[in-house]
Amino acid sequence: MNLIWKLLRRHISAGQLAGFFLANMLGMLTVLLSVQFYEDILPAFGGEDSFIKNTYIILSKQIAAGSSLRGEAQTFTDADIADIAGQRFARSVGRFTASQYQVYASLSMGGSQMGTSMFFESVPDDFVDVEWPPLREGEVPIILPRSYLALYNFGFAQSQSLPKLSEGVVSMIQLDLRLRGEGGAERQLKGRVVGFSTRLNTVLVPASFMQTSNEELAPSAEPQPTRVIIDVNNPADDAIATFVQEHGYELEDNSLEAGRTTYFLKIVAGIVMAVGLLISVLSFYILMLSIFLLVQKNSDKLQNLLLIGYSPARVSLPYQLLTISLNVLVLLLAIALLLWVRHLYLERLWQIFPAMSEGPLTPSLLVGFGIFIVVSFFNIIAIRRKINCLTRA
Amino acid sequence: MNKITINHTLPRVFAGRTDISSDTWLREVVLERGHIYLIEAASGTGKSSLCSYLIGFRDDYEGQILFDDRDIRTLNQMAWTAIRQRSLSYMFQELRLFPELTAWENVQVKNQLTGHKSAAEIEAWFERLGIADRRTTRLSRMSFGQQQRVAFMRSLCQPFDFILADEPVSHLDKENSAIMGELLLDEAHRQGAGIIVTSIGHHMDLPYETTFRL
Repeated sequence: MNLIWKLLRRHISAGQLAGFFLANMLGMLTVLLSVQFYEDILPAFGGEDSFIKNTYIILSKQIAAGSSLRGEAQTFTDADIADIAGQRFARSVGRFTASQYQVYASLSMGGSQMGTSMFFESVPDDFVDVEWPPLREGEVPIILPRSYLALYNFGFAQSQSLPKLSEGVVSMIQLDLRLRGEGGAERQLKGRVVGFSTRLNTVLVPASFMQTSNEELAPSAEPQPTRVIIDVNNPADDAIATFVQEHGYELEDNSLEAGRTTYFLKIVAGIVMAVGLLISVLSFYILMLSIFLLVQKNSDKLQNLLLIGYSPARVSLPYQLLTISLNVLVLLLAIALLLWVRHLYLERLWQIFPAMSEGPLTPSLLVGFGIFIVVSFFNIIAIRRKINCLTRA
Repeated sequence: MNKITINHTLPRVFAGRTDISSDTWLREVVLERGHIYLIEAASGTGKSSLCSYLIGFRDDYEGQILFDDRDIRTLNQMAWTAIRQRSLSYMFQELRLFPELTAWENVQVKNQLTGHKSAAEIEAWFERLGIADRRTTRLSRMSFGQQQRVAFMRSLCQPFDFILADEPVSHLDKENSAIMGELLLDEAHRQGAGIIVTSIGHHMDLPYETTFRL
């Protein structure tokens, strides 16, 4: 093999191979980055909210300056809900049920005690995409809006020199809850945050807990929903906007915006990926031209080797190994660069979306490996075909 | 491979010519293993073409050439590779050596492929052919006569049923030509192989059994 390599390495042009290397690397990196960015950034836009399905929107009644003074109801009546449910765009409607008792939550952290009055709401479990964990006696699972955490981390913690909290850490904190209802009825409970929602702007507890606690602590109160959640066929449906406007409702949710952003991101990522693939294809041509030139320049030697009994496969091997080594190098370096660039943009993104979780690496690695396999395969075939042309005069 | 049959063969470039008087073209010639043949040719009678046909490098001929009973047009690349490695050794008139390698490496290129000869055997050939001191010399620095001896040694580094030597001694003196002849006979005898030598005049001195004129 050494002698063969000594013969066949003649006329290898370092410049051409470097050109291929850079071009292929650029193509590969562009493709990998577009895939990875897509994977990382998409969840931040709520494209795949972890708790609420894509197709849910939330309606509330407009709070106008005069309405509360005039005593107009801000709640949805049964007739309102029946009307919404009858709309073409609605698949199903769920009420937000608010706690009819006082809630006081406190926690001790770093020696200091913090507490606040608050409330609970619930929606039917069908509207929450994850299973609530099984209820345990004396403990309430809670889903918080992501924005609360951001508010704490960036508004509160920073100014009070308190530690910033990740989602994981928050999930480990136990809240002390005191529920106080009619006639001084009181319950002490532990609260545990089991998740965060980008979409649902409330402190959410399981519907079953809400029902039993309302019955127990405020048996005489009739909960009136102030908001409803609607499962819609298509959040971009014009009919929704029209209906909302006509009835003086407010669309609380940003799902329409998120939907558009997601769509836009998908298109951008697609274009970038296409450009990357194009660069990859062009670099493949550079390599092929370079190798063909090499084979042409060494054609006498190659022909002599074939005529003294070397097989085309054996003669092709050095060039095939050369291209595969280059491709492996390109792949490894592209992955290394990908990880580095990703580290840079994730740092920035975490400043904007502190709660953002990074996407998986597997898709981009698979794509990179796929490109490597495809390019190498065609390299091998092309070199072999070129050598085969030399077997006859 | 036990025999080579050249069956009414004619290079296409000669097609239509009426003045062909040859013992080989357009006749049936059978070359058998274990025998020694000389093919004598004048310039332009198609000697190089015949050699190219036999080694599978060209097939621009009319008629048929058979290895045993198999038409060599039907052989695929794998079969040709096997034949060139194990059945038919060919010493090219134009040598087809590698100028950037040393004399020793040029022989080893073949021997590494077949593993047919030991380093000691090859060293002994270098000694006998009088170029032992040139073993590590780059081929491009050697005379054509010396290169001919390197090409000859290379052609012996494989098992063969036939060895085809195309003007092997065109640039050699009588003494070296005789040594080469001895080595060739020795190797061919040991393997029971046939020898086919071509010449346009100055030919290797061997006990030829049949002489064909192209």
